[in-house]
Parts: sequence; C-alpha cells; structure tokens
Amino acid sequence: MASESRKVVVHLRATGDAPILKQAKFKIAGSDKFVKVIDFLRRQLHRETLFVYVNSAFSPNPDELITDLYNNFGFDGKLVVNYACSMAWG
Amino acid sequence: MTTSSKNQRKIYKSSWDGTLSRDEFQVAATSFAERWNKFNSALPQFSWVARPNPPYLPPTSQAEGYLAVENVIMSRTDEESCGGGDYEEGKEVTSCSDEDGFVDIATLAQNHDHASHHYDFHVVYSTSYRVPVLYFRAYHSDGQVLILDDVEKSIPVNSAKLLMESKWTFITQEDHPYLNRPWYTLHPCGTSEWMKLLFNNELGVAEGGVVVAKYLVSWFSVVGQVFGLKIPFGMLVSFGEL
Repeated sequence: MASESRKVVVHLRATGDAPILKQAKFKIAGSDKFVKVIDFLRRQLHRETLFVYVNSAFSPNPDELITDLYNNFGFDGKLVVNYACSMAWG
Repeated sequence: MTTSSKNQRKIYKSSWDGTLSRDEFQVAATSFAERWNKFNSALPQFSWVARPNPPYLPPTSQAEGYLAVENVIMSRTDEESCGGGDYEEGKEVTSCSDEDGFVDIATLAQNHDHASHHYDFHVVYSTSYRVPVLYFRAYHSDGQVLILDDVEKSIPVNSAKLLMESKWTFITQEDHPYLNRPWYTLHPCGTSEWMKLLFNNELGVAEGGVVVAKYLVSWFSVVGQVFGLKIPFGMLVSFGEL
C-alpha cells in the first residue's frame, strides 16, 4: 500500500508538432489512473485531439494505474509520456 | 535483412510510413496471438483463420487469412452511469471466468441477460491502407444483434470517448472482406499515422528497425481501448527478452 501511494515523476514529451509545455515534469500519485495525465494534457493544451503513449510503442488504457506503468515502463526514476496532436484529418 | 527467428524480423526503412505488407501482417498476427494467448489465458483466445484464395485468382504462395477472437463477453455493471463525466471505478473489462472459473456461455444469461454483450473481433489486413483493420460484431446473450447505437452505449465511456473525440478512429459499417456480410469496423484512415508515432522512439534504438512481431501488440493497445480491452504488460515486456 505504501508503494501504491508513492509519487511518480511524469515527464511529458511533445512529439511531432505538438506544443511543448512550460512545465514538462510533474509528480503524480502512483495510485492515480493514467486518465489523469491525459486530462492534464488536454487542459494544458486546450486540445481534444491528443494521442498519448509511453515508450515500448504502447498506448496505455486510461484506466491503468500510474504505479503499474512506472514499474513496467519507467526508467531513470521517471515515467516518460509522449503526446502528439492529430494530423490533417478531422 | 531477416534473421533466422521470425519474431526478430524487422522493417528497415529510413522513414517508415507506419504500414505493413500482407506477409508482415501474418508474422505480426501469429506473434500477437501467441502472446495474447499466453498472457491472457483467462480470456477467449485469438486464432488465425486461413482463407483459401478465390478460384478466379491465380494461386499464390501467400496464405490469406485473418486473426479472430470470438465471444468476448463484456458485462456492464451499470448502464445508467454512462452519461456521467466520471470514469467508473467498477470493472468494465471483459471477464468470463473470474467468478468461479466456469465458462459456459449458456448459463451466463441467467443473471444479467441484457447487461452482458458478446463481441466477435476479427483483425483483417487492408490492402488499400496496408494496415490491420478491426472488424467486430456484437450481440446480446440471447443472440440478438446490437445496433450501432447500442454498441456506442455499451463500450467503455472513458477510453472510447477519448479515441472517438480525438478523431483517431471512428466506427463505420462495412462488408467483412472474407465473410461478405456487414460488420462494424474501426476506420483505418488514421492507423498508419499513429502507428508511426508509437514507434517513433523505438526506431531510434541502436539496432534500428521496427519489430514486425510487435506491430499488432502496439496496434491493439490503441484499438483495444475502444472496448476496454487491455494489453497485459507482460506482452510488451516480453519483447525486450527475446
């Protein structure tokens, strides 16, 4: 339980022509779900059209726990989350 | 170019466009099914369905076919809560055996006849888009087919909404290329684009190239979200150990 509530450092990395955030690193509770990161990005970027994924060519279900993602895909004390805005269509 | 192991096969291109050849699709499909069936043994298993080429085409060495998983049961805990903005804490993921390990579909209708929906998923290669396309159909426990409205209501609100609103994909109805019947499908027009994004960083790794075997696992991590189907982390982590 203690490890669940531990904070995880999330590093937000822009890909493609997505705008870079002023604050690209933040701490989030490990017990939070990935949807929190997605919502944060959408609010910051004022965009609905986001594509969010972690390393290992994987787009996590919004329902996944941050701590699980960190344990599997975290590196160097942080979880890198890549984001891109959608392309021409839509 | 190709190493002895099929799973280690890679695409080498200076700028990969996110697509696959039909041959590569089959390699990816086999690898996906192997991993899914290993790490998701509680869920219905994926299998490759080979289709003979139609007689009017010259026989080729390439065996056509598609990847299929059938009778995936999605039970909604509470349909009414769909409208709310909050994501549900409850289980929305398919589970057909965690209650008592008794997987007899004939008995599942007893308690929640309309609460659980059955899905068939087929992963078919699209020659025009050169990417995998997800075809699916859904029906109630009594066999009645779900119309699109019901499908949209029954899929997990949170993840599905994200994908649809983000315009990364949308549901249409099309003829199943092998069964020649109308099935629902997730439109593949954006697929190569987001596949390219997913493998962006992977391409940078020292040995270079996109691991063909991993393609469908990554692809499914996105399209599975529409239905709340998760990729077990083990399926991804296992690539590092190959």
